[in-house]
Amino acid sequence: MPELYLRFLNRILTPVLLLLSLYLLLRGHNLPGGGFIAGLMAAAAFQLQILSRGHERVRRTIGPYLNSGIGLGLAVAICAGAVGLLDGIFFKGVWFSLNLPVLGYLKIGTPVIFDLGVFLVVVSVATSYLLGLSRVSDAAALLRQDTDAPVRSDSPASVMPDANVEPSHRAEP
Amino acid sequence: MAMSANLLAVPVAAPLLTAALILLFARWGGRTLIRHQIALTALALCINLAVAVLLFRGAAGQGQQFVLQLGAWPAPFGITIYGDGLSATLLLLTALVALAVYPFAVATIDYHRARMGFHPLYLFLLMGVNGAFLAGDLFNLYVFFEVLLMASFVLLTIGAQPAQTNSGIRYVVLNLLASTVFLVAAGIAYGTLGTLNFAQIAERLPLASPAVRTVFAGLLLVGFGSKAAIFPLFFWLPASYHTPPPAVTALFGGLLTKVGVYTLFRSFTLFFPELLLSWQPALLTIAGATMLVGALGALAQPGIRRVLSFHIISHVGFMLMGLAVALSGNSLAIGFGLGAAIIYLCHHMIIKTALIMAGGAVELHMGSDRLASIGGLVSRQPFLAFLFFMAAISLAGVPPFSGFVSKLSLLQITLDTRHWVVAGVSVFASLLTMMNMMRLWRESFWGDYSRPSRVPSRILQSGVRQKLILTPVAVLVLLSLALGIWGEPAFRLSMQVAQQALDRQAYIEAVSPSAQISTLPAGHLTVPAESVSTNSPDGLSNAAARTPLVSR
Repeated sequence: MPELYLRFLNRILTPVLLLLSLYLLLRGHNLPGGGFIAGLMAAAAFQLQILSRGHERVRRTIGPYLNSGIGLGLAVAICAGAVGLLDGIFFKGVWFSLNLPVLGYLKIGTPVIFDLGVFLVVVSVATSYLLGLSRVSDAAALLRQDTDAPVRSDSPASVMPDANVEPSHRAEP
Repeated sequence: MAMSANLLAVPVAAPLLTAALILLFARWGGRTLIRHQIALTALALCINLAVAVLLFRGAAGQGQQFVLQLGAWPAPFGITIYGDGLSATLLLLTALVALAVYPFAVATIDYHRARMGFHPLYLFLLMGVNGAFLAGDLFNLYVFFEVLLMASFVLLTIGAQPAQTNSGIRYVVLNLLASTVFLVAAGIAYGTLGTLNFAQIAERLPLASPAVRTVFAGLLLVGFGSKAAIFPLFFWLPASYHTPPPAVTALFGGLLTKVGVYTLFRSFTLFFPELLLSWQPALLTIAGATMLVGALGALAQPGIRRVLSFHIISHVGFMLMGLAVALSGNSLAIGFGLGAAIIYLCHHMIIKTALIMAGGAVELHMGSDRLASIGGLVSRQPFLAFLFFMAAISLAGVPPFSGFVSKLSLLQITLDTRHWVVAGVSVFASLLTMMNMMRLWRESFWGDYSRPSRVPSRILQSGVRQKLILTPVAVLVLLSLALGIWGEPAFRLSMQVAQQALDRQAYIEAVSPSAQISTLPAGHLTVPAESVSTNSPDGLSNAAARTPLVSR
């Protein structure tokens, strides 16, 4: 199924996409970018994995962590807002300055942490959608093959329903 | 004040954080995990109730207004969260309903649905409803509407029975249409008034041209009205409420349409109170038609839940009637109509939830809710029969209960403002409600015991489950009784809430959308306001002179 050029592209593009998404995440505070876009970019990297390695393998590797990713992201985002309570108001930006020994002086604030939460939610939700869609499209392709050659013994009806009751892709808001 | 304003974030943040934690650990464990999820959810519901009580005491009891500018960004730029008596009343009732339905849900939701995420979805729905009651600008209101729509859609279809999917599609399509209309209204507000903040819209709307106001008000009436299930826009409700598990129906019946009713109350009192007078014939016509269609439709329905969902529509008509006469001159009190509508809303949320839960218990015991095939449950479940009867007569408006107080006050105000026809319609609809309730009770509890399903029912046999199901119903019925017995202080409180909601100037001053701009160059903010006001310099006088719309 996965073709050669896709596997080759995958090797090159996946690290690039992931690094780019990290870059977008961090520059999002003052410039275009941010958690949402970075999350979509990272999900694109996972989509490339799905295309080149097949969704079964990707599902086995990261599928179980997607729900946890959504939960973790939401929790991180809310906690970043709750840090603002130190300053008196929910969601007020609070800034810490870290003095790193080699790299020097790093100013980090709750908006970045909030963005990190958004990033986690978006990447998990988008990847679980993509996994669900690829599974449905696989089932549909199988169905089409079956109608072309009706001699196949296993019935397509057994493929379709369980595509709907996969617990890992719920529609979360 | 700053710390107590932060309380406003809790009804949104607590359910969200709890749901996030549940999702975070959703991978590990089986039935023990579900038990932990239930404990966490119950904890969040209790926290939500406690905070709602605090807010209610501050806002409705002492007349405070809580304003939280998220992140300390001033009003038109940041996200405003606003809680006054009206919001706090609805938050309190929502917390009560959510906490009351939860034991019922725990007892009746099966393991499969729980594993599909019933408990976090319950919390997401609660978060969306709470957020809609607290939102201080149109965009966040839209976002919370979407959150609650998505959560309710998944709750409606979870389990993927064919009937559920069918009704879920109708539900989501009609609700998305309503959301689109609302979004168009928000776009018009932003395009013509340059703002989405409620307080700033209220400030600038009197200066806008009458056409803008009419279109904005009409779109909001259609959008919110279809969420509230008013007369020509209610079709999503009876199409969907009878298919999910009874616990979900009870939650929906208690909460969902009330968000639409709240937004109608808020938008008409804050944005265009003058339309409450000039559109009064149209609003009263809609209210009358809603009452009548709901009650008549219920008469023709074959199942318990269908009857009850038509009655939700009928009751929304009563609330709209109260809103429509909120500003009419009368000999009783200022804003009497709105006060009556608010106490009706309280009564409705409490007793409707109780009744749907009791009906759900009947359905779970019998295996079906078709009135023609069930009967005689009174000999097996006398306590359930008693509770159902009490809830039914409260809904119909029989004296010691809250239904009497709320219906009487609504009747008083409509008679006092000389709207004889709609008053007559409301009495007729109440009569039909009484008939329907008696029909429900007689068909399901009286006569010979007949149970259509051959599958043995274990739901009401187990002692723990029976307690989990019947205790919340009993508590809600007692609450309704208390609201009826202490009707006078309750009504005084709801009059205070109504008068606070009608005080637009206090809202604008509390949020003060233009106050903190002094650090910016002068004239920065006044530009859009002026450009708007040049459209119609005589906007206000124009509105007053406009002829009222003829009723449909």
